[in-house]
Amino acid sequence: MSASTSDAGRARVLALLTDGFGAGGGIARYNQALMTALGQCDRVSGVTILPRFGAERATLPHGITQQPPAAGKLTWSARALTCAVRGKFDVLFCGHLNAVTLAASIARVLRIPLWVQVHGIEAWEPRGSTTRRALESSAIVTSVSRFTRDRLLGWSDIPPARVKVLPNTFEGSFAPRRRNFALAAQLGLVGKRVVLTVGRLSAAERYKGHDRIIRAMPQVLRHVPDAAYLIVGAGDDRARLERLAEEQGIRAIVRFTGEVSETELPDHFSVADLFAMPSTGEGFGIVFLEAAASGLPVIGGNVDGSRDALADGAIGCAIDPDNDTELVDAIVAALEGRQLAQPKAVERFAAMHFTKHVDDLIRTLSR
Amino acid sequence: MCGVNGIFAFHYAANPVDRSELLRTRDHMVARGPDGAGAWFSEDGRLGLGHRRLSIIDLTDAGAQPMASADGRYVVTFNGEIYNYRALRKALEAEGYVFASHSDTEVLLHLYASKGENMVHSLRGMFAFAIWDRARHALFLARDPYGIKPLYYSDDGWTFRFASQVKALLAGGAISRDVEPAAQVGFYLWGSVPEPFTTCAAIRALPAGATLVVDRTGAQAPRRYHSIAQVHHEAEAQVQHEAAIADEDVRSVVRSALADSVRHHLVADVPVGAFLSAGIDSGALVGLMRDAGQQEIQTVTLAFEEFRGRAEDEAPIAEAVARAYGTRHTMRVITQSEFQADLPRILDAMDQPTIDGINTWFVAKAARELGLKVAVSGLGGDELFGGYPSFRDIPRWVAMFAVPSRVPGLGRLARRLAQPFAGIAGLSPKAIGLAEYGGTYAGAYLLRRGLFMPWELPQVLNADIVRRGLRRLAPLHRVRAELEPAPATAYAKVATLESALYMRNQLLRDTDWASMAHSLEVRVPLVDSALLRVVATARRRAPAIVNKGCLAESASVPLPSIIRERAKTGFTTPIARWMRDAMPDVSTSGRQARVVRARAAQPRQWARGWSEVVAERYAFGATR
Repeated sequence: MSASTSDAGRARVLALLTDGFGAGGGIARYNQALMTALGQCDRVSGVTILPRFGAERATLPHGITQQPPAAGKLTWSARALTCAVRGKFDVLFCGHLNAVTLAASIARVLRIPLWVQVHGIEAWEPRGSTTRRALESSAIVTSVSRFTRDRLLGWSDIPPARVKVLPNTFEGSFAPRRRNFALAAQLGLVGKRVVLTVGRLSAAERYKGHDRIIRAMPQVLRHVPDAAYLIVGAGDDRARLERLAEEQGIRAIVRFTGEVSETELPDHFSVADLFAMPSTGEGFGIVFLEAAASGLPVIGGNVDGSRDALADGAIGCAIDPDNDTELVDAIVAALEGRQLAQPKAVERFAAMHFTKHVDDLIRTLSR
Repeated sequence: MCGVNGIFAFHYAANPVDRSELLRTRDHMVARGPDGAGAWFSEDGRLGLGHRRLSIIDLTDAGAQPMASADGRYVVTFNGEIYNYRALRKALEAEGYVFASHSDTEVLLHLYASKGENMVHSLRGMFAFAIWDRARHALFLARDPYGIKPLYYSDDGWTFRFASQVKALLAGGAISRDVEPAAQVGFYLWGSVPEPFTTCAAIRALPAGATLVVDRTGAQAPRRYHSIAQVHHEAEAQVQHEAAIADEDVRSVVRSALADSVRHHLVADVPVGAFLSAGIDSGALVGLMRDAGQQEIQTVTLAFEEFRGRAEDEAPIAEAVARAYGTRHTMRVITQSEFQADLPRILDAMDQPTIDGINTWFVAKAARELGLKVAVSGLGGDELFGGYPSFRDIPRWVAMFAVPSRVPGLGRLARRLAQPFAGIAGLSPKAIGLAEYGGTYAGAYLLRRGLFMPWELPQVLNADIVRRGLRRLAPLHRVRAELEPAPATAYAKVATLESALYMRNQLLRDTDWASMAHSLEVRVPLVDSALLRVVATARRRAPAIVNKGCLAESASVPLPSIIRERAKTGFTTPIARWMRDAMPDVSTSGRQARVVRARAAQPRQWARGWSEVVAERYAFGATR
């Protein structure tokens, strides 16, 4: 580390996060895994988190402390400055590109290395020169996928050697389990071969590919007459998707569950025979891992970060989302029981590998 | 001389190495190494190394690559020659290392075991290699101080790939072909793509004189271990603190350094020939080869039908040199129809876009036809002994425009005012840029070697590419960076820039692809870091005598005086005219053909027109 470390050569990390412990969503889950891993690193003496969103928790992982959340940007920025000046930190972690200008200023003043995390869509399009320069001043940038890294390197001039990939990991609660027949009955899916998608139904985004699957289902039904489509997730695009299902004449075999809690998610995976999400806008797509870890065959797109979650086809089938035939063929193949991927390939994304990699990355800051 | 490649699935999420991809990349380089091929894969399938062999030292199977150490800890794949390998071997044997072959490759394995990454400081030669260290779980790559041998790599965040050629990496099929805007801009500015950029955004060159480590976190930043500016800087400091030395002693030191370099460059288990032009550089080298004890020397000179019997014809002068040194000499006549017939192959073999290299293609072709595997070239003499007009022009411009260039905005204003009248007044784009760029070494160098000036780039590229490319390339900053630490004398500054930019990005790269396409190894004794140290010091001591004349007199039998006189008038070939004639036929796009025809009609613009023809081949045109 460039600054002298505080605890017998071990670094104290200040983490500026949008979503900390107690917050929900993909970025929060990623941040929680990363902070937990950082807290376990030999080279780290402690991590202080300053989140914008989150909730106080009675217990936090080893080595982690979390300040109360400050949702307002100004309040959060002021707290970040105060916290940085008062504490003796050796590394500054910035959990979102939107905060990189503030983080770079703090890191420059304190003369400590800056570690920036980028997730997905926020890093794909060119940013203004202030954000770009702030990013280029960082000692290391971790990207959730190769795709996001590639897009970031397209518009920023940061040396590629400083941009590393730190993929999502999944929790041990996702594992193959027996079908939850009660839930299947409740959803009217008994005796059906079920295609599942889990994700937001956002009218503004519409990139997850629910509509692609709905359009594919009539073709799928010709080969697999007992097929059904289960959509887990809430959002303002639901009405449009319901109408689309009507138009396609398949409304009877499409189920919308609405929001499902993380604890209920494994049971929903258990009633499915296939997870499919032909998305075009994934930074990574942790849900692919959770589905694969739950023992489901997986289909995703090949034009975004999904390629990483599918490990270039080792974990699941990567198709061109705009090619209807490819999608139909892949769904039919999976529902007919043909193998789409290598068994156990998803285990590469287990938490132990993630933790080890975080340890390797923090070491690079002292080179 | 060979082709090397490798794939390292360093990231825990990456799939194991695709063996067929490794072989596709390796075998795309078959011309670099037609004598054999090898591949090595780690037990866990996470690393694969490939090699194509052109056998020159230790022709037996013991010299085959990739080569593993006896204990299996280290594995190397190596392209190049280590000229001091015998001395290194002796020292390593004294340390207790046991050798199983007579190759220079094995020396690399033991030297790395002995010295680790610092091994590069002990090497004299041209090289690009990768050594796998199983115990460290790391791949170590290195490239020679001048960048004679190429080495390209790509790190997508999960998997690291490297090879001797960009096109070979692309042949593997796993790397994105997205175009690099800095390469587009750099190519139009200089006529070659400045390293570390390549035409592909996902592929970079390992810079000359740099090493690279790839571990579980991927490729680290390359580390420079050699800088030409540093050598000049140190030479100047050394001379400042030493007593004066007589001119004759300086001459003697340079002569013996030249002889030493040539002697080292003759190490081979196959015959070493020489390219011979009517210039001082190649002639002097042939004389020094004779002094080094080589009895049989095959020399080869290009001749052009249309120059026969005319003053431009180099062939008779080269023949006089060959007679003086008693070589077996061949004059190979090249015609325009042969040029036209070879052009598609030339463009295919060209690894990175360039406006040069055609001459080397034909002389290498001629050498190979004579059965040679190795030939010595006089490349580098102009950079070492100040032979280019830039050694005169650049310091003059800097002195003349230093003051106006310090006034903010004045140079740009002058250029903008002059721009509309430049055509009428017959001023070249470079002339109107003098006040803006001429006042610094970096700016003056850009003018001297520039193909298109920065403000002309929108003629050939769209505005967004120009903006992004210029920002990423930062051309003036890049030129200035080569002058760190800054040498004091004008000679050292220009010599540094010519060696670290023009020679590296254009001459050496062109020599590599154009000779390798014919499976010929070209050796360049005047491009040698040990020789540079001596010449830089000597030049600082006695600037008036350490020049081309000194080189001409370096052999025990000096070059015939006719050559020294003739060299001053310069040389020419009809190849530029042939290129101009071929442009409209080679160009593929409609818009390009129109522009190219217009440029082809103007003799002085042929290089600009040619650059557009070449650029089309690399999809540079498609993004306009």
